[in-house]
Amino acid sequence: MDINDWIQLIYQAAALIMQTAGIWMILKKCGVKGWHALIPGDRYYRLGIVGGRETDGMIALYADIARIGAQWAFTNVEKTDEYYIVYLMVALIILMIALVYEIRVLLGVLRTFRMKWYWIIPWIFVPWLPAWLMGFNNRFQPVDLGVYDEDELLAGKAPAEIASADSSDSRSGLNIHVRSRSVRQHFSRRYLLKDVNVSIPRGSLVLLLGGSGAGKTTLINAVIGYEKADATITLDGKDVYKNYSEMKYRIGFVPQQDLLRLNDSVMNTLYDAAKLRLPKNVKAKEREEKVNDVIETLGLAGRQNGLVAKKSGGQKKRISIGMELISDPDLFILDEPDSGLDGVIARELFEKLRGIADRGKIVIAITHTPDRVADLFDQVIVLARDSGRCGRLAFSGTPQEAMEFFERDSMEKIVMAVNRTSEGGEGRADEFIARFAELKAERGKA
Amino acid sequence: MAEKKRYRGRIAQVWIYLGKQLRMFVFQNDWKMLPMAALIGGLVTFAVGTNMFIYQEGTMNGCFALTCVCVWNGFFNSIQVICRERPIIKREHRAGMHISSYIAAHMIYQMLLCALQTVIILGITMVAGIKFPAESVITGSSIVDFGLTMFLVTYTADMLSLAISAIVKNTTAAMTVMPFVLMFQLIFSGALIVLQGPSERLTDFTITKWGLQSLCAQGNLNTQPQVTLWNTIWEFRAFEWQGQKPVKLFTDQILKNKLLNDFLAESGKYTGKPEFALSAENVLHCWMMLAIMAVLFAVIATLSLELIDRDKR
Repeated sequence: MDINDWIQLIYQAAALIMQTAGIWMILKKCGVKGWHALIPGDRYYRLGIVGGRETDGMIALYADIARIGAQWAFTNVEKTDEYYIVYLMVALIILMIALVYEIRVLLGVLRTFRMKWYWIIPWIFVPWLPAWLMGFNNRFQPVDLGVYDEDELLAGKAPAEIASADSSDSRSGLNIHVRSRSVRQHFSRRYLLKDVNVSIPRGSLVLLLGGSGAGKTTLINAVIGYEKADATITLDGKDVYKNYSEMKYRIGFVPQQDLLRLNDSVMNTLYDAAKLRLPKNVKAKEREEKVNDVIETLGLAGRQNGLVAKKSGGQKKRISIGMELISDPDLFILDEPDSGLDGVIARELFEKLRGIADRGKIVIAITHTPDRVADLFDQVIVLARDSGRCGRLAFSGTPQEAMEFFERDSMEKIVMAVNRTSEGGEGRADEFIARFAELKAERGKA
Repeated sequence: MAEKKRYRGRIAQVWIYLGKQLRMFVFQNDWKMLPMAALIGGLVTFAVGTNMFIYQEGTMNGCFALTCVCVWNGFFNSIQVICRERPIIKREHRAGMHISSYIAAHMIYQMLLCALQTVIILGITMVAGIKFPAESVITGSSIVDFGLTMFLVTYTADMLSLAISAIVKNTTAAMTVMPFVLMFQLIFSGALIVLQGPSERLTDFTITKWGLQSLCAQGNLNTQPQVTLWNTIWEFRAFEWQGQKPVKLFTDQILKNKLLNDFLAESGKYTGKPEFALSAENVLHCWMMLAIMAVLFAVIATLSLELIDRDKR
């Protein structure tokens, strides 16, 4: 080795040490343990978490490891090898993937540090420089993007635990006891929902309220058994999870979007739904009666022969509801059934849902414009996202009790009270979660 | 004790979804695949001309073009059929739909569509004056043999694009992937580029290779005259060596003695390949490979769609 080789080697070693030390400090500034910077691949995954791009970080992790193999292939495989071109192609693809995902991760990190995008250029060519600057210079500080370390996430930051079951638990109706709903994100666990205990009697129309990310859809998916949680959900005393194959036919779920085949006729859409959802022994005549009954109930009479595509937004929504209603479910859940509908049509739709509930069914609806139909509901469940980014129960009771509890005169103002300040809300979720926990405890004692 | 309710099983659900597919054929413009097949079949027949099944070159080009038409038709039949309604499938799966029934319904429906397209293309080639060889090695009718090969190629390509449609999340991704798969099918068919070594082994994984091999074998390519050699020699007529023109002398002798047809037939014998031999065994092997691929793609489609519940909201 000549002097130039030595200089190059020393520079490379120094650059690697500075880059690693810089990333160590960046991770430390963001509340992540610094030693992750020492592990190839893992450092990008941790930077991905810091930059709010965890999935990209995960791919960068694998790509970084694969890159080691690719670099080995570049240097060790003989050009005369029969498969040289294949190795070369695979190695190039890996290098490109690694580069793209590392750039994605680093752009996320720059955003966290409120730095301009063009800092990515030195990150690619002289990574030790920005890493060192961002890690060791106190001028560069991360913003709070809602990143918490694993211990905080596991514990939840909310001040109260509401582990006890609802005192009004009964065999009839719907009983929801969600202890937690979490997702494993690669190497960490994130809690989406904790301690939601609610009982809903038959014949109730229930409003599920909460800001975005409060866990409304997560709760619904847990209740219908589609995304199982650490929970006990019973419908008329029967465990939904243990009897899922039977219970799924007793639960109707209408998603937010109208998931319909537009080029099929209304009648055929409903008739096929009946064939799929009704038991095998239901006779064709009876099935037809059920379809006609649904058409009548939802006000689709006279419109059943045209294509779904030709129907208005309100009619499509009713067809979507009809597909679930056809099996006469005991529990009926609707995710924003009034989205895209004007006030009059929305009101009309909720009146029909009121009618379904009055037939002894349980109807739970999510809506972002609850005040125009608030009088129709028997019960309101308010979910809020606590400071640990976990959905929790902030209230459950009648709409009147809700307005008294939150000291607000409308449902929309209740949502604003628990929403985060970054969303234009008052950011009082933790306070109301704690107050409701105390209220429940008092009710329990009484 | 309450009687346990029983719901429609897999086979009954196949009929529900098959009915839906057939309605979609009428209302969702899937029927347009048929005139499209006629159009592309007509264009290719026009380009190939009537040299097919007369000279080796015409047969090879014609068979390759027909294989391409079949692959193209198969791809376009189903590249979007699943991904365009993915959220609907997710909803219906939640409500009790069996994925295997859904895919089986698609398989039956696509089989009918591919059969119709094959009939259309065969009809067009016959109307255009292409004369199919009289000899049949499987069914007793060469037209039926050719039809079965073309159907299998179309259907296998259809199943491949069905699998792609089941794997990708949306139509944009499907239409991005499709050209790459199509290019792979064309380049590694072995017809356009002479492949050797590892790249030659890749040809076994293409639909085009087996389709082309089967069509060429049925077209009895090995026994047909070859014109390339004669044309090449003809180009060298001006070549001089020691004041003489030996190539010109040779071609003149051939023409003078009316030996051209014998020369062409003889040169065809030397360029024949064992994989294009007209035998039932050879053709059946190609059909079996295509059928295995079709089943494999259908299984991949089913397995990948079973994961639909993991789709993000």
